[in-house]
Amino acid sequence: MIDYTQKIREIAARLLKEGTVDMVIGFRKGTVPMMNEPCFIRKPEEADRLVWDSHCGINLANYLYDRKEKIGVVAKGCDSRNIVTHIVENKIKREQVHVIGVPCTGMADKRRIGALSEKDGEIREVSEKEGRITVKGDSFTKTFEKKEVLQDNCTTCLHRNPVIHDEMIAEPVEEQTGIDPFEDVKRIEALSPEEKRAYFQGLVADCIRCYACRNACPLCYCPTCFVDESRPQWVGKSIDPTDTMTFHFLRAYHCAGRCTDCGACERACPVGIRVRQFTKKLNKDCVELFDWEAGLTLDERPPLDTYRPQDPNDFIK
Amino acid sequence: MSEWEPKIVAFLCNWCSYGAADLAGVGRMLYPSNIRVIRIPCTGRMSPKFFLAALRQGADGVWVSG
Amino acid sequence: MTHIGIEPGRLQFSWISSAEATKFVDVVKDVTDAIRALGPNTHFVKTLPKVA
Repeated sequence: MIDYTQKIREIAARLLKEGTVDMVIGFRKGTVPMMNEPCFIRKPEEADRLVWDSHCGINLANYLYDRKEKIGVVAKGCDSRNIVTHIVENKIKREQVHVIGVPCTGMADKRRIGALSEKDGEIREVSEKEGRITVKGDSFTKTFEKKEVLQDNCTTCLHRNPVIHDEMIAEPVEEQTGIDPFEDVKRIEALSPEEKRAYFQGLVADCIRCYACRNACPLCYCPTCFVDESRPQWVGKSIDPTDTMTFHFLRAYHCAGRCTDCGACERACPVGIRVRQFTKKLNKDCVELFDWEAGLTLDERPPLDTYRPQDPNDFIK
Repeated sequence: MSEWEPKIVAFLCNWCSYGAADLAGVGRMLYPSNIRVIRIPCTGRMSPKFFLAALRQGADGVWVSG
Repeated sequence: MTHIGIEPGRLQFSWISSAEATKFVDVVKDVTDAIRALGPNTHFVKTLPKVA
């Protein structure tokens, strides 16, 4: 991981010096441990602010669109898929981005680590070495296997290596095989309508409607979000269960066929709602009905954007 | 009201089903009066928002027809 | 839709050409019967707070 950081700094400095890009977007250390922040760099000498470790879960594709300058961006597998989605949706031109691909072995879930060391007090410091993450507090030190504290979506990730890149900082990592990313969706599908409703009502019961999931999501770039529209008002502003459900439900629908399951929404949620449960069902449908996973190719239009005579239509009378 | 009757919101495409509904009316055909027709310019205008808005405001069913 | 627990059948789709008035009448009957069978919709309804 240290050499990843070194490599990213070198590349960023070089790109800025040569004038290939006007700006590099990467990560820098956050003010709180395990919370790295996005970092925008315009001068070669600023490049040593960049870092890379297992806490770079924020999706940097979120900061790319509606910009004029040429941008270099540090991208994991999921970020690169979101960049592809942006290019396909004409939010940015391919020539405008210089993708610095980072083979990713998953990001650590700070909530999981936090829960495992909750009794010990606040975590002040974090470091990692050879696939192990060590956290330090005032009076304790704990080490975890990174594999055991991964973000939920990273454990079922099938595209760890960037799908597009202009340069890679390291050799691609081995992709995970033999896992079923939709195991939990299948479990919910087996429930009765009553049980499903209860499950989802329970899931969003804590929602405070802060819309952090929307803001963290690279797909949510509508100039006016449906939740902010008041004429007509599609969703009430209150935390009425119906309104909350409507919000989550419509948000998921807006991501249909576009979501790359990067986990940004879940990571951003302040109350820990597993919001991916909504989008995952639609991802599964896209795989099953259209054999489609978002952001894998620049040459194909997404399924909800095209008509094919063989599209399923059994639901229509 | 002694017996419950379902309230159904029907979103009909201007060019297809709305035409058919018009024709049914002109032909004086009889059909259940549970539907409340909303004309949309094309079924492509349909959005999940509409469906949810209808349910939230007390519809018992929604019917989309193109 | 059904995934979050709305009964399947609350939402119906159909294709009717503008010349198919008879099919329109048939489908209206079908849809009405299907929803009548499901009974009143009790979920996802927003009950507005009573204002005195």
